[in-house]
Amino acid sequence: MASKKHIIADILFTIGTLFTVFLVNLFLVEHFGTKTMTPMIFVLGVFLVSWQTQGYHWGIVASVISVLLVNWAFTYPYWAFDLMSPECISSAAVMMIVATMTGALTTRLKQQEKLKAEAEKERMRGNLLRAVSHDLRTPLTSIYGSCSVIIENFDSIPRERQLRLLKDIQTDAQWLNRMVENLLSVTRVDADKVRLSKHGTVLEELIDALIVKFRKHYPNQKVDVSLPEGFVRIPMDPVLIEQVLMNLLENAVFHAEGMKHLWLKVELQDNLARFSVEDDGCGIPQDRMQHLFTGLLESENTVDSTRNNMGIGLSVCRTIIRAHDSELKAGNRPQGGAVFSFALEMEENEYVEQ
Amino acid sequence: MSNNKYKVLVVEDDQSVASMIQTILETNGYQVLTAQRCQQGILMMTSHVPDLVLLDLGLPDMDGEEFIRVTRCSSAIPIIVLSARSEEADKVSALDLGANDYITKPFGTAELLARVRASLRTNRMNVLSSVPNSVFELDDLIIDYDRRQVSVAGRVVHLTQTEFNILSFLSQHVGKVMTYSVIIRAIWGAMDDGSVKKLQVNMANIRKKLGCIPGENRYIINELGVGYRMPDRND
Repeated sequence: MASKKHIIADILFTIGTLFTVFLVNLFLVEHFGTKTMTPMIFVLGVFLVSWQTQGYHWGIVASVISVLLVNWAFTYPYWAFDLMSPECISSAAVMMIVATMTGALTTRLKQQEKLKAEAEKERMRGNLLRAVSHDLRTPLTSIYGSCSVIIENFDSIPRERQLRLLKDIQTDAQWLNRMVENLLSVTRVDADKVRLSKHGTVLEELIDALIVKFRKHYPNQKVDVSLPEGFVRIPMDPVLIEQVLMNLLENAVFHAEGMKHLWLKVELQDNLARFSVEDDGCGIPQDRMQHLFTGLLESENTVDSTRNNMGIGLSVCRTIIRAHDSELKAGNRPQGGAVFSFALEMEENEYVEQ
Repeated sequence: MSNNKYKVLVVEDDQSVASMIQTILETNGYQVLTAQRCQQGILMMTSHVPDLVLLDLGLPDMDGEEFIRVTRCSSAIPIIVLSARSEEADKVSALDLGANDYITKPFGTAELLARVRASLRTNRMNVLSSVPNSVFELDDLIIDYDRRQVSVAGRVVHLTQTEFNILSFLSQHVGKVMTYSVIIRAIWGAMDDGSVKKLQVNMANIRKKLGCIPGENRYIINELGVGYRMPDRND
């Protein structure tokens, strides 16, 4: 649990605090000739140490050292030990008690914070699950219903009607598949980021594969693509980033009412490649901005809502982008319409022999 | 029963998926054999000698990769791997082991039939003519192997030797996805850390010289994280 880094930090903090306290005391004794402050300042030091470090032990170590320091430097006989005096033993006891109690208190506080964070995470997960099961049930209802109708009335429904029902089933199944892909990505990323398989991906290839896929699903929607010149290679999980861009483009198709143009832009700034998906549709209403990425409010507000993959899609996007150590930003364009963007670090472009 | 139908072996443990594939293939004039287990599949390979195998990677008794390894010891029969999206890494290693192609579940009828036809065709070509055609055509792209010349819409394209080798390697395996490592081994022989990048840079140059625009890349399909494929227009 306590990593090496933590232990070293704790040791340094303990030594640093005690040294400072010692110097302050020396200064006070030299300049004001008073020793009434000495034990109080040492108690403060012990308190700081047990508050800032992990567990009890550093506080106890600090209190023992403090007792020895006070005994050695600030009580008669000066610069020598006299450990058996009752003064020394009682001050040791007080410091020990301060250290233990502070340690116990801060440990409990830290545990509570951890529990709170855990509960928050659990709540988010619950929200997502609720939204998901709602969104999964809608197409499933339609698939199940359509199948039952066809099976039970196989001879009585006209063929065209049957074909239409079957086509609906196909569309719903495709929609379900996209949904499940999104969920799969979240679980893959959620599990401590380990499943991210980063490859050096050529920007042009990523965008090409994405546009081909997008056209297959939405042949009527044109996308204006603008890419930087030259060979750009970015370390990323190409399947997940493709999915993010696909979700953002799909969101525009489904939710940007009155959209005439859809842009996919990639711009280079220093060592960053900034991806942005823009549309000139209705934009994002201010009151929804806050809950845009949680995937929750959507389905609660609009109970009978038709397909709103949006909330879940966006929370998936944010999770994926965060796993790539970046942040997904949403906003409205001054000319109207929404813009979603994120930036990924590029690979250094050194010379490659042909 | 006519006997000149192609025989396809489907190794898939899920009953409904297997029966769906069987229906699609049988209505399109293929003869279908099914196996639920790898062991059973390997036995049927020797007893029925099919023309093509559709292999599910997640089988209960044995790793699908083991099936490919065993089969490749004795036969060059085309193998198409059926993979779910969560098995991307397995997909690449299956291709590297010698599988010819893959289809991601869920797939449609058209996609399945196109891949089956492409795999059967390339295999037949390899068997019938050991000497490849001297000219390859894909839409307005023409590759002349003898003169080592490439042209697009009648305009000659000047490629470097490496670029030409990569393009003709892809064209000789048209319709089939070639993984990065397979291409690298064919072009440069050995593979090292910088190889994939070297290949990507060369591909970028080829695309530029052929005049490909993102989204309208007609000659080379990018299979993200896997490799490249030259599309087959004969479907």
